[in-house]
Amino acid sequence: MNMKYLGKIHPLVLLAVLICGTANLNAATGEQVYAANCVACHAAGVLGAPKLGVEADWTTRSAKGLDKLSQNAIKGINAMPPKGGNPALSDEEVRAVVAYMLDRLKESEPPAKATVKKKGVDQKASAAAASSRDAEVAKPKPRPKKVAQRRGRPVNAFNRLMKPPSQRNLPPMRDGIHDSRNDGTAALQHPKEAFGPMPKANSGNRVDWVAALNRGDLKPRFDLEDENREPVVLDLNIVREVKGSMPDVVYPHKQHTEWLDCSNCHPAIFFPKKGANNISMASILLGEQCGVCHGKVAFPVSECRKCHSKNKPKTAKK
Amino acid sequence: MKDDIRKDEEPLQTKELHRNELKTVAAVFLLLMVLLGSLLLSWPSKAEYGDVVINNFSDESGMRPVVFPHWFHRIRFRCKVCHADLGFKFEAGGNDISMLKIIDGEYCGACHNGNIAWSVENCNLCHSGKSGTKTQVHESTLQKLVAPVSK
Repeated sequence: MNMKYLGKIHPLVLLAVLICGTANLNAATGEQVYAANCVACHAAGVLGAPKLGVEADWTTRSAKGLDKLSQNAIKGINAMPPKGGNPALSDEEVRAVVAYMLDRLKESEPPAKATVKKKGVDQKASAAAASSRDAEVAKPKPRPKKVAQRRGRPVNAFNRLMKPPSQRNLPPMRDGIHDSRNDGTAALQHPKEAFGPMPKANSGNRVDWVAALNRGDLKPRFDLEDENREPVVLDLNIVREVKGSMPDVVYPHKQHTEWLDCSNCHPAIFFPKKGANNISMASILLGEQCGVCHGKVAFPVSECRKCHSKNKPKTAKK
Repeated sequence: MKDDIRKDEEPLQTKELHRNELKTVAAVFLLLMVLLGSLLLSWPSKAEYGDVVINNFSDESGMRPVVFPHWFHRIRFRCKVCHADLGFKFEAGGNDISMLKIIDGEYCGACHNGNIAWSVENCNLCHSGKSGTKTQVHESTLQKLVAPVSK
């Protein structure tokens, strides 16, 4: 064999390998980009967005071709903002995700009957639909929204704007702020692994840290040097009457002194005298006063009733 | 005549009352909208609540920014250890942390010295954020309320 031939073959092989490699890469990133950015609108068809895998939504669109569709997605079209509202996406990523959505269309075409059958199972209450297959084939289009959401799609079933369970407590490799190309990232602990036995909460890390500490699920050190040093816990509730109809706030020193030192809050954040601090939700939302921790690490401000926990005494109406 | 005057006065008082009620209703409505808006904007964030990205000098020096996971540390230490004893202020990017200080045993270096936690040789374990990520407390109320500056 001559070296001449080897020289000729080599770049071709390289090219082929490259093409295969990038094709696979596109398939992977397209799906990932979809799950992270597009699913919120394109799963349920928000504001006229064409739904993933629903052929009727795509017939006129797919005729335009990948290039034109990608351009539209990059520039924004109708209710869709440029790049779906995420300027961090590169043009290639947008193109990849459009390609992915078109691919899903092709995939969904041949086994149409199978998907119809599945939908039929959900409707088993109506005996008429179950009896004749023709009727099923004719009618499945009008109600795909709810079915799609129940099917474990990455959308929150209660409210599509909230984080779905599949997006909570992600491992560092997939959490969006860690660099997945960094070898160190792979070595970091996964939150789910650490949170496993702890009591659950509805917000924040989805962990009830105070309950976990009480139950002994975690034993965080109080002192760097002395492993056995215990915190000085102060059991003193401060009730703050609030304006309006919200229940009054009960501030428990106990839960706070389990974690913190007096000097963390007094006197810089709160003057240590009842009634001496003018606290407002506005400043808390902006990260001051209680908001120094609540809304950053401690449970967020969406948990109104955790603080506003003391109902006002009922006054007789005139 | 007397009756007429009284009739004039009463509606004025009730108007005041109505205005006050309207104000509180408007305030509550506004707060609700803010919370709803915060939920809306919270969608793209996927990292843990309370993850702090520190990018004071990293980008300029060609390092990845630091991601500090609050959840990981609060399993092992109470807030007091870092925020009272080690002098970390409650503000992302508000502490003048540098590698020199860390090697001298200040800030992260109080534990990250090879005795209590991994030492400074393991650059990539802390400097693990995507380059260009701004200093932030991830998923904080403030982050959700303030719209990101478009490029």
